Amino acid sequence: MSVLRVVNLKYKYPDSHRFALNDISFTVEKGEFLGIVGMNTSGKTTLCYALSGLVPHFFKGAYGGDVYIGDMDVLSHEISEITAKVGLVFENPFLQMTGAKFTVYDEIAFGLENQGVPRDVMHERIRESMKLLDIEGLQGKNPFSLSGGQMQRVAIASVIAMQPDVLILDEPTSQLDPEGAEEVFRVVEKLADEGMTIIMAEQKMEKLAAYADRILLLYDGKLIEDGKPEEVFSREDLNEFGVEPPVYVKISRALGLRNEMSGLYPISLEQMPTERDIQFHPVTKTNNGNTTSELIVRDLHFGYEKGQDVIRGLNVTLSGEPIAIIGQNGAGKTTFVKLLKALLKPDTGEILLNGAPLSETTAAKLASRIGLIFQNPNDQIFKHKVIDEVMFGPLNIGQTGEEALANAKEMLALVGLADKADENPYDLSLAERKMVAVASILAMDTDVVIFDEPTMGQDVRGKSKVQEIIHSLHEKGKLVICILHDMDFVADTFGRTIIFSNGGMLFDGPTREAFAQEEALRLARVEQPNITKLVQRLGYDRIILRATELI
Amino acid sequence: MNNMTLYVSRDSPVHRVDPMTKLLFVFISITSTYILSDHLAVLGILLFTFFILLIGKVFKSILPVIGVSFLLIASIIIVQGFFHPDRATVLFEIGPIAIYKEGFLIAFLITLRVVNMVAAFGVLILTTKPDDLVEALLQKGLSPKFGYVLLSVLQIIPQMVALTGKITDAQRARGMETEGGIWMRFKSFLPLLGPVVLNSLTETRERSIALEIRGFNAKGNRTFLYERKNYRYSVPFRIALIAFFLAVIAWRVIS
Repeated sequence: MSVLRVVNLKYKYPDSHRFALNDISFTVEKGEFLGIVGMNTSGKTTLCYALSGLVPHFFKGAYGGDVYIGDMDVLSHEISEITAKVGLVFENPFLQMTGAKFTVYDEIAFGLENQGVPRDVMHERIRESMKLLDIEGLQGKNPFSLSGGQMQRVAIASVIAMQPDVLILDEPTSQLDPEGAEEVFRVVEKLADEGMTIIMAEQKMEKLAAYADRILLLYDGKLIEDGKPEEVFSREDLNEFGVEPPVYVKISRALGLRNEMSGLYPISLEQMPTERDIQFHPVTKTNNGNTTSELIVRDLHFGYEKGQDVIRGLNVTLSGEPIAIIGQNGAGKTTFVKLLKALLKPDTGEILLNGAPLSETTAAKLASRIGLIFQNPNDQIFKHKVIDEVMFGPLNIGQTGEEALANAKEMLALVGLADKADENPYDLSLAERKMVAVASILAMDTDVVIFDEPTMGQDVRGKSKVQEIIHSLHEKGKLVICILHDMDFVADTFGRTIIFSNGGMLFDGPTREAFAQEEALRLARVEQPNITKLVQRLGYDRIILRATELI
Repeated sequence: MNNMTLYVSRDSPVHRVDPMTKLLFVFISITSTYILSDHLAVLGILLFTFFILLIGKVFKSILPVIGVSFLLIASIIIVQGFFHPDRATVLFEIGPIAIYKEGFLIAFLITLRVVNMVAAFGVLILTTKPDDLVEALLQKGLSPKFGYVLLSVLQIIPQMVALTGKITDAQRARGMETEGGIWMRFKSFLPLLGPVVLNSLTETRERSIALEIRGFNAKGNRTFLYERKNYRYSVPFRIALIAFFLAVIAWRVIS
């Protein structure tokens, strides 16, 4: 008997005219690993909610069709009964901590206490799930003091301890740095090996291709295809659905490598044929020669607490072509850009903008010259209407109402949210909110634009939009600085890369050289781009940054 | 790291007292100051509460809270001292304004009561882990939903402080001046309130999803991870507190 059965499921959120899920049917067998792919707004998250009973019980709205978990139908049972069988882990690690408990151990116990599990069984299950997720060392810590990757593993442990039949993961790594994401994928792989039934929505296709038995491709609330990973990822029209295939498929397509029997492309490194010779023609991005503003950093030191320096003696000149900053969480990247924006004041050392020290001005006065897009849009957005949010900055720096409105509209169109101007930012998805945050800074037309992880939570289309924006800012002679965790994006977009580790720079130079610095990359705990790794593993001693560099 | 609670982790005899006894202490300490109207007696109770805070090694942590309530206290002194209906004796004069003795004494009494109330709650909140407190109440039959609300209230101040910091940064980053004199700070504080509350509400919605997933609304019996250790001296302490309370009532009736 199937663990999960979905029959003609249709669903509309309250106050919405569009079907978030439109006539979806599929079944999941015990022990299967099912991947869900699709662009943002395709209905991935809603489907995850529907499988765990939050749709319709928590969100209400119009509901048709059936979802069965084992022989229990979701519609006539309460969420607490459903969540005993289906565990859900979602994107934001921070918001999954209940806030009712003050140690990791107690946090995991929360669900068990609610279920009325006897005390000795509870202790046993907590220990088991901590072991499974490799978080035994964290048991006495406060959940809110953990890193994102650790928190996400605590969230999974809390759900696993309730012993569900199915584990659903909704983009569990989209808000994590590469190492945090790797921690989570490692435990997901372990759970899958142990025979747990897993359903995972994810944007990192290489990972899904490696783990999943089957892939559901969603678009606009409809199920487009339910098939083997090779079949789904070999679809020629995949990009039309806002989904990018794994890098192996991209390369194979560029090289015309198809499995002659099945006509499908290889989706993993193991499946790549090795006998084919590859030719390269590396393309070096040339600086367009535009002069930009110049930020000079001299012997910069900063610490949040005395004696604990987060930034340790930085010296760097930032100007010219777009610059990527990469490195592990906690390396001091965000602190560094906050110093550049004068939101923080250096302990010692100085920062000069076009020769003038920042110490003589305030963050607010700098607003018209340096724009900073925060990592978490929720920390940046504070108005009730998208258009007001985008106009807030321009009005503050002295644009007239008309100018500000025109600028705001132009920028919303640029990020693809022109039709959402009158909506409440909090009704938008995280990826859209991030774009609102981008528009609200671009509307101020600053000379320097700093992005803190602009690709976070974005699908392929979102990413290519961010890329276009970065290119066009550079064309207009702006200085662009960008903190990133997505190495494929760095390789494809930036000419200059800075590797950050432990409050200092390990490398500063051309991106192609940066990704050749194996020691520095290892210290900064970042990986090479997928395509670079692939070409090296195929035995070529070249640093390749883009699929277009292969012949 | 910000633990999002007001609890101060120390090793002290006060920390070891069980939450229910501390709760009883808060109740009796506060009501006693209202039953009694003798300045010296109320002062005595206040000093005793301070003494408990000192033993609990958290006296310093209560000072900022008393500082915040000073605005309220100052207004009480001015209003009572200036306008009290029985005013007759001028105590002192500030320029043209005369402060009267009768009003001032009442204001002084109210001040003592307010400070005692803050300090008594301080004893409970600063020396008790919020989850211990709520769990003790749950085991006494409090509904889990109410318990969670109580827990959120206990965390709301540190959370608001953290959130305010983030939003101030966001506003400064886009050209709103928040640095500078006190007037500038005050002006920039008001527009903050909306976003802070709105942001908290959004987070609440997502967090309630997290609670649902973990079976928070499950019917049926709950279990507790930890067995409550009975605090050895809770019975004598409670008897002493109740005896004191009865004495206060008796004194009030007689005098």
